[in-house]
Amino acid sequence: MKIGTVLSWIALLGFALVTLFPFYWMVMTAIMPTDAILSRSPSLLPDFSRIRFDAFVGIFARSAFPTWMMNSLIVGVLTTFFSVVVSTLAGYSLSRYSGVVQQSLGAMLLISKLIPASLILIPLFIIYNLLGIFDTYLGLVLANMTISVPLASWLMKGFFDRIPRELEQAAMIDGASQMQALRLIVLPLAKPGVAAATVYVMLNSWSEFIFARTLISSPERQVLTVGMQSFVGEQMVDWQLLMAAGTVSILPAIILFAFLEPFLVNGMTKGALAGT
Amino acid sequence: MTSISAAGTRRAGWLDLSFERRRTLLSLALLMPAVATVLVLIVYPLYQVFEISLREGKVMNFARISALPLGFGNYSRVLSDPQFWRSTSTSAIYVAGSVGAALLIGLATALLLNRRLPGTRIFRTLILIPWAVPGVVVSIMFLWIMDGSFGVFNAMLRDIGLLSGDHAWFADSRTALLAVIVPTIWKTYPLITLTILAALQSIPTEIYDAAEVDGAKAVQKFVHVTWPGIQSATALVVMVSCLGVFRDVDIIFATTGGGPAHATETLALYVYKEAFQYFRMGAATAVGTMMIAFALLLSILLGALARRSKY
Repeated sequence: MKIGTVLSWIALLGFALVTLFPFYWMVMTAIMPTDAILSRSPSLLPDFSRIRFDAFVGIFARSAFPTWMMNSLIVGVLTTFFSVVVSTLAGYSLSRYSGVVQQSLGAMLLISKLIPASLILIPLFIIYNLLGIFDTYLGLVLANMTISVPLASWLMKGFFDRIPRELEQAAMIDGASQMQALRLIVLPLAKPGVAAATVYVMLNSWSEFIFARTLISSPERQVLTVGMQSFVGEQMVDWQLLMAAGTVSILPAIILFAFLEPFLVNGMTKGALAGT
Repeated sequence: MTSISAAGTRRAGWLDLSFERRRTLLSLALLMPAVATVLVLIVYPLYQVFEISLREGKVMNFARISALPLGFGNYSRVLSDPQFWRSTSTSAIYVAGSVGAALLIGLATALLLNRRLPGTRIFRTLILIPWAVPGVVVSIMFLWIMDGSFGVFNAMLRDIGLLSGDHAWFADSRTALLAVIVPTIWKTYPLITLTILAALQSIPTEIYDAAEVDGAKAVQKFVHVTWPGIQSATALVVMVSCLGVFRDVDIIFATTGGGPAHATETLALYVYKEAFQYFRMGAATAVGTMMIAFALLLSILLGALARRSKY
């Protein structure tokens, strides 16, 4: 049993090292000088005396990185706001009522998870050109909502399912209207769910690539995931800039993830797995 | 609580009626934003996808799609395109390889984390981070690690004598598919670990105690207690992962772009290229429609497996 414990621990350590290595190597590449990086036998350990932050300065001073980041943020916040409002209301309705409308919407939300992004892009591209919202934040936000609304609605339904109906019924017997019961009793209890949905949708929007690449054409409206690709040239790649950009770009995701983690095991595996 | 609410509904008839109607109206009102979103952004576009897939001719003049003649020409043209079949097998290998390996790793890490050794809490958090990283960033990480000339992966292989010289994993058509599977595994397995771990922790410990009293060995305990307890959650997460990998293009797009020589062109990427590189919207929507049908079939199959839950 003792040996088993040690072996398990070693195995786990091995998995953790392999999992974390890409992050480590990305940061190392960004902070080590070029000759240390472009080597056929790079040193795995950092040479602390030679650490430099040129690449980090470079992405902010010599590229459109700040613009891309701001665009990602704008699109992320708008997508999250609209998706979470729409999905919280829908999740409550899906959880508490089961009329024809609820059932057909529920089925449609599930089916929409089967649609490849590269496919839904085709009609969106056509419609956007007709409506004149191609190459706008609005268009990209709406496209992101095709992914996030189904996801967040099921997540919220899962959270509302775990709040006992008796609480609202008791409030209504005490004279509250249905809407008051929802606002004063249910929503405060659903706060962790709303928080999880917010972070989850934000993460998805932050990561989104193919919609932004296709539906945005102006460089000044480009988001981070697409903009970063410009460090990959036809002939050569500026690895240090690319790795510095990658490091900074995942910081918000990691911070959001730290918020989400406490809800993960509880919330996602039950309600949201259907929404992944 | 229930008795009180039952008494509450036994009031005067007309009040009940209007209360029920108010409830129904409210339930619909709350749903309207979502219904509008789904109708405008998903149902109508899907209808258009289907419509375009049935129209003959080049769908370039977008305003006049419905004026084009109807037919199954796009489907028959796609089905006779060798690249369609190649993409189908590429997708099959990509999904089966990525999710298969991710399942093995996810199962192993979940079982290890479930032992509640010292430090597993922090491991659980760390192991999950790849799940939160954008596919494009995953791609650049692995493009660099597995770079032909300066990649640290090749340097390690050279150190232990498995490789002499260079090997450009993403640029060689024999290894490119394997090369895109590696980052996909890395990004996919954390969710599988998390889900199986949650299922493991919901198995009542008394059952293990009882099995131990009956003299069950480790293997027997896994087959008779652990596996039945995690089977449905595992089927569900495998389904979700398969659908995700089948549908997503980010990692392949940002690493190989489907190349070299179409070696990594999955169906999802085939759809994208037909539509936005060659502007053959008819062919693209035909393939996309078939992809949805296939994904539906897969989810029904795995969904049936997931419902056979024990606890």
